[in-house]
Amino acid sequence: MTDTKIDQVFERVARAPHQVERAVLDRISTTLCSSLRPVRPLPANGLLIMGVLFVCGAIAFGGAARSGFFGFHALGIAARVIVLSTLGILAWVAARECVGYWIPGSRHNVTPWGFVALSCAALLSVFALLFHDYGTEHFFSAGVICLSAGVTHAIPAACIVAWLLRRGLLTEVVSGGAIAGALGGLTGVMMLELHCAKLEAPHILLWHVAVVPVSAAAGALVGWGASRFNFFARR
Amino acid sequence: MQLHTSIDRSQTDAIGSTPAAVNAEALMSGYQLGDPVAATALIHQLSPLLRRYFLSEPSSRAHAEDLLQETWLRIHRVRHTYRPGEPVLPWLYAIARHVRIDHYRRATRTTAREKKLTDVTRIDESASVEQAPWDELESLLAPLPASQREVLQMLKVSGMSLEEVARATSSTVGSVKQRVHRAYKKLRESIRAPGQGERPNGVVR
Repeated sequence: MTDTKIDQVFERVARAPHQVERAVLDRISTTLCSSLRPVRPLPANGLLIMGVLFVCGAIAFGGAARSGFFGFHALGIAARVIVLSTLGILAWVAARECVGYWIPGSRHNVTPWGFVALSCAALLSVFALLFHDYGTEHFFSAGVICLSAGVTHAIPAACIVAWLLRRGLLTEVVSGGAIAGALGGLTGVMMLELHCAKLEAPHILLWHVAVVPVSAAAGALVGWGASRFNFFARR
Repeated sequence: MQLHTSIDRSQTDAIGSTPAAVNAEALMSGYQLGDPVAATALIHQLSPLLRRYFLSEPSSRAHAEDLLQETWLRIHRVRHTYRPGEPVLPWLYAIARHVRIDHYRRATRTTAREKKLTDVTRIDESASVEQAPWDELESLLAPLPASQREVLQMLKVSGMSLEEVARATSSTVGSVKQRVHRAYKKLRESIRAPGQGERPNGVVR
C-alpha cells in the first residue's frame, strides 16, 4: 500500500455518510434556544495579558517590599535593566500562552515544556553573563530558603491568574496548569531578584532558576489531578 | 504524501476561509448576540462535521449522537469564549475534543465496574452507523498512538488545515507537522513489515 492508497482510505471515510437526523438537530436547537440570551464576550486578549502581568508584577513587588529590596540595591544599573527586562519578556510570553490555553482554539507558538526550557536557558545565560562570584557559602541552606520563597510566591500568582481567567475554558488542563505554574515561577524569580542579595553565581544559577521548572511541574501536577477527578468537566 | 487533504473542500463544508466558514463566523457572532435563527442555522451547519469527528474515533463512535448533544450543551455554556472574527472550526473542535476526552475518562471508570454485554453493544453499533469505511480506517490507524491518530483524522477526515489542527489541539503547527510525518512513517513501516497479514496488536488487515 502506498501513500496514495492510504489517502484513498481517508477519502472514503471523509465521504462516508455523516448526516445527523433532523429530529436530533431540532431537539438540540429547541434546547439551546430555550435559554438563549446575549452573552458578554471575554475581554480582548491584550487586556487579559495586561491583567495577568499586573497580578504577577504586584505579587513580585509586594513580596519584595515585605522582605526588603536588598537584591535590587545590590545589583548595578545595567544588571537591573537586563535581569528585569529578561524576566518581563519571558513573563509576557508566558502570559500570552497562558491566556491562549484558557480560550479554546487559540494559536500557540511554544509548548509549555518548550517554554520552560526556553526560559531556563534564557535565565541561565543572563545570570552566567552577569554574576562571576563562584563562592558556595551556605549553598544548600540558603538555596532551599530561596527556592521555597520563590515557589511560595509562585503559588498565589498562578492561583490568581487562574481566577482571573475563570470565564474561559481550559481544554488542555495539564498544559494550562504547567504554563500557569511557569508564569508563577517567573513571578517567584522576579521576587527573588528584587529581594535576595546573595549574588553568588552557583546559588542564583541553581536555586533561583529552579523556581520556574519546579512551579511548572507543580502546576502540571495540579492540572493532572483536576483532570483525573473531572474538575473541569462540570463547566 | 500530501499534508493537506486531497478531499474536495466543498465536501467538508465550513473549512478555512471558504464562504461556508465565513458564514459560520457570522452565525457564531449572531449566536453570541442571542439570535435564535443564527443558533439554529449554526447547529444545522456544524453538527454533521461534529458527528463525523466523533464517528472517526472508535472510542466515541457508539456514542456519537450523545456526544454531539453534549458538545452543543458545552458550546452553549462557553459561547462567550469565541472571539468574533476568529475561525470557528478550531474553537468548535477544541471543545468537541474536550468533551470526547471527558467522555473517554468517564467511560473508562464506568466500564471498569460494569459487566460486559459485548453482543448487545455490537448490535447497537452496527445498527447506528454504516460501519465499513470506519472499520477500514480503524484497522489502518491501529498501529498509531492516539495523538498521531487524532491529527491524521482531523487533517484527512475532517479536512482541516495544519493551522486549524494546531489550534484545535492546543499545539504548535510544527508539532502537528512532526506528528503527521511520524504517523505516515509508522504506517509505511507497518505496511511494509514482513508478516503483513497481521499487525502487532492482533488487528487483521
